[in-house]
Amino acid sequence: MIHLDEVSLRATVQDGGRGAHLRAGVPHAGAADPLAFRAAQALAGNAPGDAALEIIGLPFAFHCDDARLVAVTGREVSLRARDELPGWVSVFVRAGQTVTVLGTERTRFAYLAVSGGLATPPLLGSRSAYPAAGLGAVLRAGGALPLGAPRAEASAAGRTVAFTYGGTVAAMAGPHADRFGAEALAAFFGSPFRVLPDSDRQGVRLAGPSVAPREGEILTCGVVAGAVQVPRGGQPIVLLADHQTTGGYPVIATVVEADLGRVAQAAPGEELLFERVGREEALRRGAAARALLPAYQYP
Amino acid sequence: MTARIRAFGERALLVELGEAFDEALVARARALADAWEALRHGPAVPAYASTLLCFDPERLAPDAAERLVPGLLARAAAAPSRESALVEIPTRYDGPDLADVAARSGLSVDELVAAHSGRDYTAYFLGFLPGFAYCGRLDPRIVAPRLERPRERVPAGAVAVADGQTAVYPLASPGGWRLIGRTDLVLFDPAADPPARIGAGDRVRFVPR
Repeated sequence: MIHLDEVSLRATVQDGGRGAHLRAGVPHAGAADPLAFRAAQALAGNAPGDAALEIIGLPFAFHCDDARLVAVTGREVSLRARDELPGWVSVFVRAGQTVTVLGTERTRFAYLAVSGGLATPPLLGSRSAYPAAGLGAVLRAGGALPLGAPRAEASAAGRTVAFTYGGTVAAMAGPHADRFGAEALAAFFGSPFRVLPDSDRQGVRLAGPSVAPREGEILTCGVVAGAVQVPRGGQPIVLLADHQTTGGYPVIATVVEADLGRVAQAAPGEELLFERVGREEALRRGAAARALLPAYQYP
Repeated sequence: MTARIRAFGERALLVELGEAFDEALVARARALADAWEALRHGPAVPAYASTLLCFDPERLAPDAAERLVPGLLARAAAAPSRESALVEIPTRYDGPDLADVAARSGLSVDELVAAHSGRDYTAYFLGFLPGFAYCGRLDPRIVAPRLERPRERVPAGAVAVADGQTAVYPLASPGGWRLIGRTDLVLFDPAADPPARIGAGDRVRFVPR
């Protein structure tokens, strides 16, 4: 078991998401910052589909009943066990040892992966929490979760992933780019957008120059995480993991998966600059991001 | 129009089958989603006149995904429509917008209830909320534009109408449709298989209680 000793705001179980029930209107869920999630899993010796904790609000403290390899990732995270350690490093913690996950005022999502993964019962094919529909729960301090059999040993400690959150956000135009004028597209890909405080796991709301579509609404269609919806008012919203499965606003651009974490982790008041890329470049960046991860290997 | 295939990021395609609402397109979008999911490359989300096809570009290159679409469209056109279930929704017509919708429509409340419950609807697709089925068409006499200011909280079980369609809110949520009744039927149960009481393509009938 892993025991949750301190929960500052919100912690949930997330995994690769619940893609199999999109047609029933069930949001995909899963990690808001997919790359940080995958890095934590790889560092802990887990598979990408295993379950880990997504933590909003730090500090967060835990201990495990037995010795485990763990990893913490996210923006500007660190941990404190016997010593202070940086995030994005695999760490071997002893049975019963209390570990505290720390962040800064810029940290939005932290991921804690434990070797063996969280062994909570899957619902509709996934362990990802979507509490609004009765799928999983928001975890409380004092709670405990079952763990799978450990897959990595002490010798796997000290591995790192080098990842930074700076830089532009790569996005492909469309699918509804033709609903927007050339000016709106130029403004979207050429101006900074400020992150608004009412952003959450459903989406990141932005403020900047108006990029309003020529025509208001579209026939509702299926949408993906990373879609940049533009309501009539012209202020974009970037959809994240808990987004609704369908949407009725034109989508001016779609953030590539490799840069979704940059959007998810942006703190209110920070600015994002979108860079237009084609599909080949989007694929290249995805491959480059995955190449940062240690090769996943079962023992 | 012929289908238009658009990239939706590097991990999905949006196949647009038309630009306006049409029941035949809704059925075609659903058949395309079935054909895509049968290939097991990833999930699909059908809507009014489009189908979102999701895939993992590490396993299936996007241009290879695009090349699959014409064959799937041909298969979808030929596919027999699936047997559709009839879902009966026991409804108490006592919603907060009932009298207003009746007045807008130039109907008495009894006439509105008779018009709403007097026909079977088709569930076009699910979206917005888990288990939320967009159903139509409403009797054209029922006039119900979306609320200008959506409610912050619509209770679970609310029976609603808007713009020629009707639906039941499976969960409490913000919402902009007009509320004419309510049901105790559970529309979304995460422990059930399938979790949504109404499936896309089902027939839906509201039964006054």
